[in-house]
Amino acid sequence: MREDTRNKALWKFGSYIFLLIVTALVTIPIYWMVVTATIPQSEFFSWPPRVIPGTYYFENLAALQENTNFIRSIGNSLIIAISYTILSLLLCSMAGFAFAKYEFRFKEPLFYFILATLILPIQLLIIPLFLLMVQFGWTNSFLAVILPWAANPLGIFLMRQNMRAIPDSLLESARMDGATEFQLYYKIALPTMIPSLAALAIILFLFQWQAFLYPLVILQEPEMYTIPLALADLVGAQRVYYDQIMVATSLAIIPIFVVFLTLQKYFIKGILAGSVKQ
Amino acid sequence: MTLGAIISKIQSSHSYKRASDQLRYKRQTIAEWLPTLPGLPYLYISPFFILFGIFLLFPTVYTLYLSFFTYLGVADGNLFEIQLGAVEIAIPRIANLEFAGLSNYERLLLRDSLFHRSMYNTAFIFFVQVPLMVILGMATALVLDAKFIRAKGLFRTLIALPVATGLVAYSTIFLLLFNDDIGLINYMLESVGATAIPWLTDGFWARITLVIAVTWRWLGYNMIIILAGLQTVPQQLYEAAEIDGASRWQKFRYVTLPQLRPVLLFVVVTSTIGTFQIFAEPYVITGGGPGNATITVVQYIYEQAFLQFNLGYASAASVILVTMVSILSILQIKYGGGED
Repeated sequence: MREDTRNKALWKFGSYIFLLIVTALVTIPIYWMVVTATIPQSEFFSWPPRVIPGTYYFENLAALQENTNFIRSIGNSLIIAISYTILSLLLCSMAGFAFAKYEFRFKEPLFYFILATLILPIQLLIIPLFLLMVQFGWTNSFLAVILPWAANPLGIFLMRQNMRAIPDSLLESARMDGATEFQLYYKIALPTMIPSLAALAIILFLFQWQAFLYPLVILQEPEMYTIPLALADLVGAQRVYYDQIMVATSLAIIPIFVVFLTLQKYFIKGILAGSVKQ
Repeated sequence: MTLGAIISKIQSSHSYKRASDQLRYKRQTIAEWLPTLPGLPYLYISPFFILFGIFLLFPTVYTLYLSFFTYLGVADGNLFEIQLGAVEIAIPRIANLEFAGLSNYERLLLRDSLFHRSMYNTAFIFFVQVPLMVILGMATALVLDAKFIRAKGLFRTLIALPVATGLVAYSTIFLLLFNDDIGLINYMLESVGATAIPWLTDGFWARITLVIAVTWRWLGYNMIIILAGLQTVPQQLYEAAEIDGASRWQKFRYVTLPQLRPVLLFVVVTSTIGTFQIFAEPYVITGGGPGNATITVVQYIYEQAFLQFNLGYASAASVILVTMVSILSILQIKYGGGED
């Protein structure tokens, strides 16, 4: 019996140690980013490296801004990610509503056809999309980045799954009260779907916020760069400005962290939504 | 009489009531009739399908088409024009192409050693990274799921933080962290008496660096999915196993693992697809080097397509990649899915 309790204590101790090591390994790079973003470049090369954050953040930020106009990239990223998210939410919720609550010809085949395209990777589309955008004259335009994945198969799937939970009786009684069919969508379906919409919004926003390969192909002018493009450009520069890179990285990451911490519930719902079994 | 009195008198009159009842009745019949209106659902789905067709369906088919051609340049003329009365529809040609048959595929599969190199590198990352991450994610989730652990929320949040970092952003952190000369990792290694490792200048270690980076980014993501899977394991199964005197390992082997199978399969399949699509990490951290030791397939496709403008050739490479990943996923689902 005593052997057993000792074993248990040892197991608990080992579990905590494992958890602490994993947590440390995961958080150290982030902490280190904060440190290097807040110290001047000269101290960056000091040996041993600094471990305590400094107070040089805004000086580094000013240097970054002067060098690359990073704030413009943040603005570009915001415009693209927000308009993409809104457009995609609109398309997916409308189509999802129809698939969940109406009967029409070819409903099932159309839906399963969309599901099948979930497996198509971005790489397969990039070359023809590039040629298409050249034809449209849309290279170096935000529209070319926003439109292609707005019709998102995962989005329509999630919306359809969740909207099936809206009771038919609710829609019927609204019809009795004289609501038009379109009012059913935006006065009943959308408000009851806010948690699912939030989860989907996070998936869509993150996807666009960190999209790299496709914007790299389409947006070639530095004024049009999104955050990932500007970051990659900084790294590829002749002289490596470590402090500026880290300030830029912190600007790319920290706002998302804040969103992550405040909307954690939806974040996790969003992650799990991608893995739902039908 | 005031205006209000007039209105109330009209509203109370018999003929007004009849008219308003009729109106309400009309509305109801319209409401009953509307959902069966054939066009309405199509109105809801058409915006989605228009964009879906132009930007997803057409490009997919066109990639396949393009893979049998050699790209010569951007086209000016029209593919065909149709005159419909006053309306003229012209479909422009997308590109100047020259039919190449299967030669793109033949060159890629048999003769292009850089393509083979990129395949090898990608496969290396896949074979090392996916098992590593599944085991780590599983272990972390199991520990976090244990009853005695305190501050679960805090641990989970911290481990999941990388989920919120962008691909390029976290790659820049790793680029500096694993810098051979001034990186923190080598400093820590040297301070405990170990020799510094050429993380980015040696081919093998550069691939390992990519594996570590990818694992760091996706561990929390997969842990959350496995944790959710653990919640669905019926508690009675554990209790029954305990009554039978099962050890910790036996409970894991015969209860947790079989119950978790669908979730683990999902993690493995998505990780497989993910590792074969790696692009931002090698692009930023290693640049494909040293000496093409870390160039990945997608990176190779990018270079062929957008630096050398061999669009047909790159399309063929994309088709090969997607075919390979699909076959791999199907095999995983077939042999990992068990009875269901």
